Amino acid sequence: MRLNGENLARLRAMSEHTQDSLTARIFEILRDEILSVDSGFTPQTNLVEAGLDSLAVTQLMLSIEESTGVWIDESLLTPENLENARTLAALVHGELENA
Amino acid sequence: MSAVPGAAGFPGRVALTGADCFLRAFDAEIGRFNAASHISQLVLRLGCGFDVERFRALVNRAAEAQPMLRAAVRRRFGVGAPFYELAGAFRRAKPEVVVHDSVPAADDPAALPAIFADRLNERRSLRRGELLRFDVVRYAGADAGCDLAMSWMHQLFDGAGSEHFVRWLSACDRGEQSPGELPQPGELSPAAPSSKTFGERGDAARRWQRWVDGFGAHPLRSLAGPRRRTPQALGCDLITLDEARTEHAVAEAGRRAGFMTPMLFYMAAAIRAHHAVARARGFDPVSYVVPLPVNVRPRGAEAAIFRTHVSLLWFQVLPGIVDDFDALIAELKAQRLAAIKAGHIENGIDAMGFARFAPAWLYARMARRASPGELCSFFFAYTGEFLAGESSFFGGEIRNAFHVAPVPASPGSCAAMSLRAGRLNVTHVHQRGIFSDRERLLFRASLQSDLCGGS
Repeated sequence: MRLNGENLARLRAMSEHTQDSLTARIFEILRDEILSVDSGFTPQTNLVEAGLDSLAVTQLMLSIEESTGVWIDESLLTPENLENARTLAALVHGELENA
Repeated sequence: MSAVPGAAGFPGRVALTGADCFLRAFDAEIGRFNAASHISQLVLRLGCGFDVERFRALVNRAAEAQPMLRAAVRRRFGVGAPFYELAGAFRRAKPEVVVHDSVPAADDPAALPAIFADRLNERRSLRRGELLRFDVVRYAGADAGCDLAMSWMHQLFDGAGSEHFVRWLSACDRGEQSPGELPQPGELSPAAPSSKTFGERGDAARRWQRWVDGFGAHPLRSLAGPRRRTPQALGCDLITLDEARTEHAVAEAGRRAGFMTPMLFYMAAAIRAHHAVARARGFDPVSYVVPLPVNVRPRGAEAAIFRTHVSLLWFQVLPGIVDDFDALIAELKAQRLAAIKAGHIENGIDAMGFARFAPAWLYARMARRASPGELCSFFFAYTGEFLAGESSFFGGEIRNAFHVAPVPASPGSCAAMSLRAGRLNVTHVHQRGIFSDRERLLFRASLQSDLCGGS
């Protein structure tokens, strides 16, 4: 990897975002900005069952892009990856590593 | 604010949403040019056992408890934003439940009763609170079952709201809710208040108008041609895929457009079906412009029943890309993302909010000005799983259920899709004369080929 400006930004993002910190950030965005959920919502809650729809998921991806610089293509948003905030964070972390 | 007599807690008036006013503008236009109204339908195909008298009694009790079901839509002295007049609503006629008995079943099991099309083409009065009616067609034969159409003015519900209302009726019938209960919080309250200043909302509305005006660089031509004076004569073709074909279509939609955005696959198939007709006709559409309704219920009011809580995303594609299905889907995905990033869902809400104060004809003119006389190439809607979890309705098994969505005589074509118990339903509503019989078959063949992979 050549250390141009973009790659440096990605390296910085990778060092800033562990899988746990990504889980926490995604959980916060969902709870506070995107979904209407009660205290029963946890990082293990199924996202589609919690009300994540097509518009909400795009807004979530835009927020994640803003936080990490990585855009997650919709084709990667499988039912397995959208199982909960943890599985989604694992996907984002993997994309950060592969970027 | 005065309360409504007989229903403590209801306000005397409730403001229309911007989307309600958008639809009111088209209702006025359809009234003026096509002698009809903008009426939508929810259709239930029920097995035997449906208890129509129990249903009628509950509708009456609901109408006695809930003034929205017969509220007049008015504008004070002809100026200001229109509103539902709840005070006085209880003096208006209750929604009718009309039973049509011993109707011979059609040769084609997919055919819908002619009375349903008649209802779709009726002239109803918002000012008189004629918002809702039901028709039950009972077929001859011991095990024949019946069809039920709930016909509603588009200010009373949007598509999701109409499904919530049917769920609510069903829950009341099961004793889980009471028709006398007030609606859930958020159902009557104004749409989520905007945190933007007046100026910011004005800027957002102008950005939305510039975006829509930009489609005028390639002004569309619909199969119906520009708006003209002609009686509205909508009919509906129902296409229902069996479980195996639906499974294939759903898998393809997820694979090619994304698990969360399958509507872009379905929309692409609908564009290609219209293009198949245009090409066979030797017709140059110049471009395809298609709006996609987006559910924008405020957080915490996801099950809101009344009023219209939608914005519109608009798409424009040139015919050159339509032949390549995957390229078309990719283009729709890119346009959707760009529009969401640009804030056009919210901008559209702001634009429609301003339009609440404008005369209806002015708003209709604004919406049609990008392509002279034209609004869009066709209407499209995808509403996902229809009445998920509901297996029966007042004692009758729900054999199938779907929306029959209205469309003005221009563009004169609407494709609405939804899933019900593992089967994909497509209702193609079209103005009589716009598609020949041969073109309807071509439309169907193209759609099925794209959805099912050549079957």
